[in-house]
Amino acid sequence: MARGANRRIRILLFVFTLVFVLTLGRAMWLQSVRAQSLGKLASGQQQQTVTTPARRGTIYDRRGLQLAIGEQATTVYADPRQVTEPEVVARAVGRELSLDPDEIYRTIADRSKGFVYVARQADPKAAARLQRLHLAGLGFYGEERRVYPQGRVGASLLGYAGVDNRGLAGLELQLDGLLAGRAGKQTVVRDPFGRAVDVLNSTPERDGQDVHLTIDHAIQANAQAELWRAVHDWHAKGANVIVMNPRTGAILAMADAPGFDANDFSKVSDDLHRSRAVTDTYEPGSTFKLVTVAGVLSDGLVAPSTTFTLQPEIQVADRTIHDAEERGTVTYSVQEILSHSSNVGAITLAEILTRQQRDVSYWISRFGFGHRTGIDFPGESVGIVLPPSDWTGATIGNVPIGHGIAVTPMQMAAAYAAIANGGVWVQPHLVDHVGSAPRPALEHRRIVSRGVATELTKMLRDVVIEGTGTKAEIPGYQVAGKTGTAAIPLPTGGYSDQKYVASFVGYVPAGNPQLLILVTVNEPQGAIFGGMVAAPVFQAIAKFDLQYLGILPHQ
Amino acid sequence: MIWIALIAVLLAGVVALNVAVLQLNMRYDKLGRTKVDLVAQNADLESQLSSAAATQRIQQQARAQLGLVAADPGTTRYIQLDH
Repeated sequence: MARGANRRIRILLFVFTLVFVLTLGRAMWLQSVRAQSLGKLASGQQQQTVTTPARRGTIYDRRGLQLAIGEQATTVYADPRQVTEPEVVARAVGRELSLDPDEIYRTIADRSKGFVYVARQADPKAAARLQRLHLAGLGFYGEERRVYPQGRVGASLLGYAGVDNRGLAGLELQLDGLLAGRAGKQTVVRDPFGRAVDVLNSTPERDGQDVHLTIDHAIQANAQAELWRAVHDWHAKGANVIVMNPRTGAILAMADAPGFDANDFSKVSDDLHRSRAVTDTYEPGSTFKLVTVAGVLSDGLVAPSTTFTLQPEIQVADRTIHDAEERGTVTYSVQEILSHSSNVGAITLAEILTRQQRDVSYWISRFGFGHRTGIDFPGESVGIVLPPSDWTGATIGNVPIGHGIAVTPMQMAAAYAAIANGGVWVQPHLVDHVGSAPRPALEHRRIVSRGVATELTKMLRDVVIEGTGTKAEIPGYQVAGKTGTAAIPLPTGGYSDQKYVASFVGYVPAGNPQLLILVTVNEPQGAIFGGMVAAPVFQAIAKFDLQYLGILPHQ
Repeated sequence: MIWIALIAVLLAGVVALNVAVLQLNMRYDKLGRTKVDLVAQNADLESQLSSAAATQRIQQQARAQLGLVAADPGTTRYIQLDH
């Protein structure tokens, strides 16, 4: 009996030992021979490299109001091969995301593809409702969507960041390197429930930098409203305005009409996207007379009171030039030539300059025409300035009165700002500072003496008191400025007799300038003169800005 | 017996340590997601704030709800106080 029991125990011991050895052998085989392949399989299932997107920097106006900001959105995608009920999915997507179900069906029914977008940057609440339906084949991930809370205010200025959150136009493009930041990466080990149990390595994201502009949203909004009213009242093709601090070069507003909602950038024609104050040129007309007058005064060739007897017209090469209004022979001082905007007078002064070393073309360049201002905005035009070697005998009858030359509104604004700033040209700019970095250095250069600038201001003051710019006058304030009325050149040569650009550029208060405003109205109907069309717009914008900024009168 | 008990305690300690690390990793992941959500909420609120502060919207609301219109800037009068 005992022998039988011992035998059974020995058999059992042998069986257990055999099982243990086999198990141990299997374990050793898995952990040595199969270790690498099984380890890779586990890593593939458990490890996941996740990209952590960087927040795009916010664009603020000068008062800290957000003009462009990133909002959380959800992108919905599909794997058509995993979609088992495409009709059901299409109807659900159409209902929740307000999309065309037929279009969605066509997209997700194409089983040749393994990945298709259903909706980029959709509303996260709607996407969450869709996600709760647990429809097979649909996937979701978070994305940042760029929004412009102010809508139409500053739309052409701000530009657009596309679906990939990269700048495509305007300041979004110009400052993309600062705004974009750098995405981070994390390799995470997840358990079967998807919970992260270990972080193997991590590179943190670097958020984009916030940008603070010189733009004031209230001044910008008001400027746009006044432009829109002018375009509507004069049935004009378009208009633009620049509002600037002439002492610092800070742009307070840069507006175009017609405008658009910045959130609809991709739906609007390219023609409306442009910020014409920087990218487009125009023949400035009489506002350009400042250059010639500044030249003759700076070189001491004339004084403001120097008089000239001016015939009704002047012959230049094969052309006869006359003033805008019919008159007989008059005697005008230099001051009156500018205040009455005499073409004959301006050409007479230009002919005096022609005989000097520092001729008209010298002063054109000195005032910055034919050169970029360096403003921090993409696509700036240099304008069209005939090089001195290409000047003919007739050129002197054109250019000094603002024809045969094309400038950008920004170049013109900067030139007049230099006069307002005591003769010192300051680089116009839109960005005040980025993040906590100090303000960048700006270009300054003296173009005329303080004395000449003061004399020019008096002359420009006369333009508004008794000249062509009386509609720019503001009760209680002294405004200095110049009107411009320029026929638009025809593609076939010559000038149109029906299409004009009406402009006014001025600064206020004349004795202590704190605002410079340039208004251009393209192809107004019913009236064409800068004094009639653009000067009232200047007045309306300036009145608001003066009160808004608390600038006292009688300075 | 003492050795078995000692080894058991050590093993329990190792397990407890690994469990603590796992729990911390899971909490870290959860906090990361919370941070992303809060940043998104913050951006959404900033966007709403900016929209609310839009000049045109305020003017429209003032006109519609209170019957107020923006004063003509030209009617502002300044009084100079002589000291």
